[in-house]
Amino acid sequence: MKILSKHPLLTGTALAVLAGATLYGCKDFLTSAATPQGTLDQQTLANRTGVEGTLIAAYRQLDCTTSSGWWGCAASNWVWGSVPSDDAYKGSEAIDQPAINDIEAYHWAAGDADNYLNNKWRAVYEGVVRSNSTLRLLKQVQTVTPSEFSAAEAKGIEGEALFLRAHYHFEAWRMWGNVPYYREDDTDFRKPNLTQAEVATELLKDLDAAIAALPVTPRNGQVGRATQWTAKAYKGRVQVYAAQYPAALTTLREVRASGPYALEASYDRVWTGFQEFANGPETIWAYQASANDGEPNAANANTGDRLNFPHSGSPFGCCGFHQPSQNLVNFFVVDAATGLPASLTDANWNARNSALTASTLPPVDPRLDWTVGRDGVPFKDWGTHEPGWIRAPAYGGPYSPRKNVHEKSSGAESTVGWVPTQTNSVNMHIFRYADLLLLLAEAEVESGTLENARTIVNEIRTRAGFRVQGCGWTSDNKVETRYPGCAGDGRIAVPINDPSIRWATYRIGLYAVPFAGQQAARDAVRNERRLELAMEGQRFFDLRRWGIAQQVLNAYLKGVGGGAEENRRLHLRAAEPFAARHALYPIPALQVELSKVAGTDRLKQNTGW
Amino acid sequence: MRATESIAMEKKVPGRHSVRNGLLHCCRIVGMTLTLALALGRTASAQRMEISGTVTSTAGAPLAGVTVRLQGTDTATVTSANGRYSLNGRADGVLVFTLIGQRPVQAPIGGRTTIDATMTRLAYLEEVVVTAYTEQRRADITGAVASVDVESTSRQTGASVLQRLDAAVPGVTVDASGSPGSRSTVRIRGISSFQNNDPLYIVDGTPVQDSYINWLNPDDITSIQVLKDASAASIYGSRASNGVVVIETTKRGVAGPPRATLRVRTGISTPVRGYDDFLILDALDYFEIVKQSYLNAGYAISEVPSNIYGNANSPTVPQYIWPNGCTPNPCTGVDPASYSYPNNLIMGGSAGTNWWDSVFGTGFVGDYNLDVAGGSEETAYGVSFNYFDQQGTAKYNEFKRGSIRVNTEFTRGRLRFGENIALAAERSFGGIPNDDTGEGGILGKNILMQPVVPLRDIAGNFASGKAVGLGNNTNPLKVAYEGRDNKNKNDRVFGNVFAGFDVTPQVSVRSRFGFNLGQSAFAGFSPIFPENSEPTFTNSAFENTSQFSDWTWSNTLRLVRRLSEHNVDLLLGQEANAGNNRFISASISNLLNSDRNSRYIQDALGDANSKDVFSTGGRSALLSFFGKVDYNFADRYVASATLRRDGSSRLGASHRWGTFPAFGLGWRLTKEPFLAESRVFSDVMLRYGWGVTGNQSIPAGRIVSQFGGSRGDTYYDVGGTNSTVVAGFRQTSLGNPDLKWEENRSQNVGADLALLDGSINVVVDVYQRSTNNLLFDPRLPATAGEAAPPIVNIGKMKNTGVDFSIGHRATAWNATLNLSHYKNKIVSIDGEKDFFFGPIATRFGNQVINKVGYPIGAFYGLIADGFFRDAADVASHADQDGAPGRIKFRDLDGDGQITAADRTVIGSPHPDLTAGLDLGMRWRAFDLSGTVFGTFGNEIFDVQKEFYVFRNFSTNVRRDLLTDSWTPENPNAKYPRLDVNDTRSKDISSFYVEDGSYVRLRNLQLGYTVPSSMPRWISIARVYVQAENLFTITGYDGLDPALPAANAFGPAGDVRDQYRGVDRGSYPSSRTFSIGLVTSF
Repeated sequence: MKILSKHPLLTGTALAVLAGATLYGCKDFLTSAATPQGTLDQQTLANRTGVEGTLIAAYRQLDCTTSSGWWGCAASNWVWGSVPSDDAYKGSEAIDQPAINDIEAYHWAAGDADNYLNNKWRAVYEGVVRSNSTLRLLKQVQTVTPSEFSAAEAKGIEGEALFLRAHYHFEAWRMWGNVPYYREDDTDFRKPNLTQAEVATELLKDLDAAIAALPVTPRNGQVGRATQWTAKAYKGRVQVYAAQYPAALTTLREVRASGPYALEASYDRVWTGFQEFANGPETIWAYQASANDGEPNAANANTGDRLNFPHSGSPFGCCGFHQPSQNLVNFFVVDAATGLPASLTDANWNARNSALTASTLPPVDPRLDWTVGRDGVPFKDWGTHEPGWIRAPAYGGPYSPRKNVHEKSSGAESTVGWVPTQTNSVNMHIFRYADLLLLLAEAEVESGTLENARTIVNEIRTRAGFRVQGCGWTSDNKVETRYPGCAGDGRIAVPINDPSIRWATYRIGLYAVPFAGQQAARDAVRNERRLELAMEGQRFFDLRRWGIAQQVLNAYLKGVGGGAEENRRLHLRAAEPFAARHALYPIPALQVELSKVAGTDRLKQNTGW
Repeated sequence: MRATESIAMEKKVPGRHSVRNGLLHCCRIVGMTLTLALALGRTASAQRMEISGTVTSTAGAPLAGVTVRLQGTDTATVTSANGRYSLNGRADGVLVFTLIGQRPVQAPIGGRTTIDATMTRLAYLEEVVVTAYTEQRRADITGAVASVDVESTSRQTGASVLQRLDAAVPGVTVDASGSPGSRSTVRIRGISSFQNNDPLYIVDGTPVQDSYINWLNPDDITSIQVLKDASAASIYGSRASNGVVVIETTKRGVAGPPRATLRVRTGISTPVRGYDDFLILDALDYFEIVKQSYLNAGYAISEVPSNIYGNANSPTVPQYIWPNGCTPNPCTGVDPASYSYPNNLIMGGSAGTNWWDSVFGTGFVGDYNLDVAGGSEETAYGVSFNYFDQQGTAKYNEFKRGSIRVNTEFTRGRLRFGENIALAAERSFGGIPNDDTGEGGILGKNILMQPVVPLRDIAGNFASGKAVGLGNNTNPLKVAYEGRDNKNKNDRVFGNVFAGFDVTPQVSVRSRFGFNLGQSAFAGFSPIFPENSEPTFTNSAFENTSQFSDWTWSNTLRLVRRLSEHNVDLLLGQEANAGNNRFISASISNLLNSDRNSRYIQDALGDANSKDVFSTGGRSALLSFFGKVDYNFADRYVASATLRRDGSSRLGASHRWGTFPAFGLGWRLTKEPFLAESRVFSDVMLRYGWGVTGNQSIPAGRIVSQFGGSRGDTYYDVGGTNSTVVAGFRQTSLGNPDLKWEENRSQNVGADLALLDGSINVVVDVYQRSTNNLLFDPRLPATAGEAAPPIVNIGKMKNTGVDFSIGHRATAWNATLNLSHYKNKIVSIDGEKDFFFGPIATRFGNQVINKVGYPIGAFYGLIADGFFRDAADVASHADQDGAPGRIKFRDLDGDGQITAADRTVIGSPHPDLTAGLDLGMRWRAFDLSGTVFGTFGNEIFDVQKEFYVFRNFSTNVRRDLLTDSWTPENPNAKYPRLDVNDTRSKDISSFYVEDGSYVRLRNLQLGYTVPSSMPRWISIARVYVQAENLFTITGYDGLDPALPAANAFGPAGDVRDQYRGVDRGSYPSSRTFSIGLVTSF
């Protein structure tokens, strides 16, 4: 104390110097605290792990992720390809996901629809960004450490990334038509949109490059990866979408003749939760859903489609979306004599307004009961579909979607996450061989080779008649209370004339004679495409591609085949008439705004929006 | 030694200090109270006598805490709560009475044994306030500094002092929910940034950034100063752009034996309003809404859903609502014996469940404080204990706090040192998030459960609306009940150690090391909900813990010189601040045993696959140098200049350092000859201030690009195994190495007026604040990907406003009125875009926009132009899916259809005027005081209308929907036509926007002071009863117009100011009645 008071100046100065010195001394006082915590930097990833990892992330973007939100990002495109078509309603209740009400009713300029459109736009361009960052990182690693990858590996990675980039742009293209195309060296993210034709050129350019780079079998034997055949098949798809029929014929015939694909023996193995049937010969490319993979919320399962299960009273619990339309169910009715679609011959094929429940009449295409859940019919191996499974029948109709539902005995169900009973590891087909065959048939029709088309359609119909829904009995699904003969009969799929079948009469006939002409062939192919690919998110894009969306969809609402959907589901009375502008979805208004440079929108909105 | 000390000690007497105009008292530790008085003489032997008396204000109120000292000795005491004192004095001595804010009184004893004193308040400009690092006399302050009347804010009950700042001073607004211990959003003079706009709190010299401050016992606080403009705040440069609130807790002892004061308050609270005031309570009334909605939409009566109420022509309350479709009523097919939980539930029908009442009710609150202070010549101490326990008005919701504070100071010659330390433990309980509302919370759509749904099923388990048409809500009582063990723990050690040394009488140095150590933990549980329409059979346990430590070391040197009429006060300083935090969270689902004692994150206790563990952390540092010089000429002209340089680790290496200058000028007109003799103006001071402050409130580490990913986002089962994933990565955020300081330039012109001999005080300030280089992350086009966009310095925002206060003090009453107005405007965003949306979208989209030319967080949507009259009206209007009785939207762009392009700004949450009126009166031993708060011109976007008007998710609805929905006979109804197929009227529009103005009696207190003439053994000194939020005058139709800001975080941090005034179902304020007593012994 005494020293302090005797030498105050000294003490004060000493204190100040000490304080200052301590801090000046730590030169990096600020710098050391500036490092971000808990993340990776670019340098850490400039190697094999990083390149492969970014490519994996590019695949993952095929379906909704934990960062994408909502359901417009679903790999199945149920919001965009199914609900606005004549296949399905939004379903559920009017008040759940009201944005999709606007999409269903063609109010695409509404703010709610815009949010959903934006969700899809973001999802596909995030796919493009992830693909491009793989390509960039690969180039960087090859420059800095060329030994990291063998030439074949590098080509394979490049091919996969190019292919993925093409896929994501294809998704954007079939939604919006005029979209910008982004490659790995782009730095301006406000590029103007290209025309539809220009995008097609870019897509084919990328696919050709991918075909040149990709191996014929999946790299590392991993079935989720694209191969040269995947890219070739996809090329044919783009060519058909671009109406380049002669070129498409060449591409698709080659895939058919020399590719590794075939139809599954039985239709029920196309969409299945059984691991042993997943990625069978019919799979060209699918989103590989995984459940119980350590992701605590089952986010890698069927995320984009998890709402599309029967509701509360069912074993799935939630949420009753994406319900098949009455029109679609009626369309599966066949002519008792020929086994061909009744719609070909019966002017009143669509007159039935009430639920088509279990009944031996009228005869139906067996694919109906692989596609649609209807009361009284065994639902895979879950027992019979019941009225209590439907969330709001007056609003969404009496039917449930089925293809995306796993079999109970498949073990594909998740054990974790919000309502795990509606999460499974059923893969989402992005492109399957039957789809390819029907695209080929379409190209054959448009090229005048009608018999080739008939062969394909019949091939598909033959397969469709191979196996039909069976009892699917399990000890606790109570299917035998309605069908006593089912007791102990656990077969999910049975031959078409199996005596256990009590809920339907399944019939399917072939086109026995050559088509009467090109229009008849076209109708047959288009009808077959609807039946085969129903509820798979394709129908709306098909109708638009064929140029008949306006005619078909207005007829669907106002009356066709003796029935009008707006009298069945009254909320559809609020639908806007389908008009020329609906040929393309509006580009999200937000993205148009964000593309502004010097006061001008770089992205041009589609005509009419 | 003694001689030296006596000079030093003398300066500590505040009265003397303030009498000596113009000379600032010497350097002292920030945080020291001025009530410290040390007497020098030792006890004298002769003429001892006991002297006692009462000290009162000029208004007659007993003054507690007055230091009464026998001049020239260390004999001193402090008055008790009823103003009484007694000490041993000498007949020839002189008593000196001192109290902060009061003019000191000297009273020669002259042989008396009873000496009462009356103290008058210091003139406004003579008050000494603690501002930045130092104390200053108001007359020397050129910036906008407002003092909070701690006494009047103590009439509010609540965990945090922040919630008491509302209406306390002009220019400060506070939003908080009614949930105990909830977060406060304090805003000073509008909003200056897109990011966090919390002010900087300086508690006993240590900076804190915290929106709760629940660990600080409000009862420990002795003074609160709000530094509103840059010329006052820029000494805190780096983080001062949102203003600074300087809080002092120095309840310290004076020489003498320990003196204890006990303050106790207990009361009960109820919500100010409940949904049951305006929702349908009768099940059949509700069905009438459903029925009308179907019939009006064109359905036949046979098509009206009959699964609950049976035939729509003769609806009845159902015997059972589940199993679904159990009709007719009474239904036949249900066998109660088949009930089994959770797979076969049976739920009866209710004639009308009052869901609000089932969850909200009465809560108890208790606040107990004991402080003990004392000391000697060389030691002064103050110790306080607090226990605070507040139950929410919602069930199972509670906040508790225990705290201990120890403040001591030791004096050794010219050296002073000591510490202030607070230890606090907080516990909060309940499944109710404090202000993170939205539809998932109890107050979102859950409490809007239909009246036909029973509270419990036939077996006594919680019921819910499982059947078709009953929505997808969750039983709100179950949410509360199952969350009853959800516990949030927050432990804190906060304080500082300090040392100061007077090198010479003019030069002093000081060093202070402040620390803030905290750890918090949360453990929660989510049960299965098999009774829901969207049932879940997965339970889960989740917990997280976080720890942080933050320290601040500041060193200052102060020089005070007086040369005739020139007074110079120079402060030089240096400060370093560093902090780090670490957070870990984990969860697991499918617990085998859901008992609270088994809720741990272990593989064996649940589904190991669902285990999710996550940790993160952060570090940041600031280094600062600053200086301030104050100059005063003859008390007439005042000038000050400040310069601060701050370096921040959050910013780019080459832009790390920012310089923050400020200056202020003051002119005390009453010292000029021409006004010196004025009878009207007893004191007039004009002020002007200009300055720059900074902001760097962004997450650390955003100067570089970051990569990452997660299993659900970037991992993929590329091998088609169905059950294993391969790791993937993506870019998660884009960095910006050029990040620099956000700068806020402010100008303030003010006047302090004392009129009519100081009986009326007026303070007026007019200001403009403009923020440049706004730190935020403008959205990139989606073609750039989902990585968080870089934070950039771009954009400008401007606030202009006026703060006004007028106060009057008379013998029997006093009144102070505060008025403030600000106007916030976004001047530019990034030069390209002119808007971006707010951070939260609801079911129907995004209703908030940040748009150039409008204030931050403006409401955005279509303009509702009433209802369509008839078919002709629909036909002639732009295409919008219209029908008679639906809302008609305005075709702003004239393209013949209603689209997103017709949206515009439809409202603003910012008030035009906020007002606080503080009133007090006194009659004999009774005193009555109260505070009225008012806000005017702000609007509320009532998102709850999605539910209680548009019946989204089949929730319950407002009762007046039955009587005031559009019909051809009632074309000017309040609501559109009930129409189940009307999907357009609900679009985001001005229909949701309501006037949010309200006036509320914040508190009213009636007190009785036990007169000093009463026998001394009555130690209770003052008792009172008080009411808070007794009444509210408002036109707002929703629950409570006093809304908290939502919890909103973007990749660039806290963005809650982009989401204000949106009613998503907020915990209402409480009406609290309490009684209290204050006693000293």
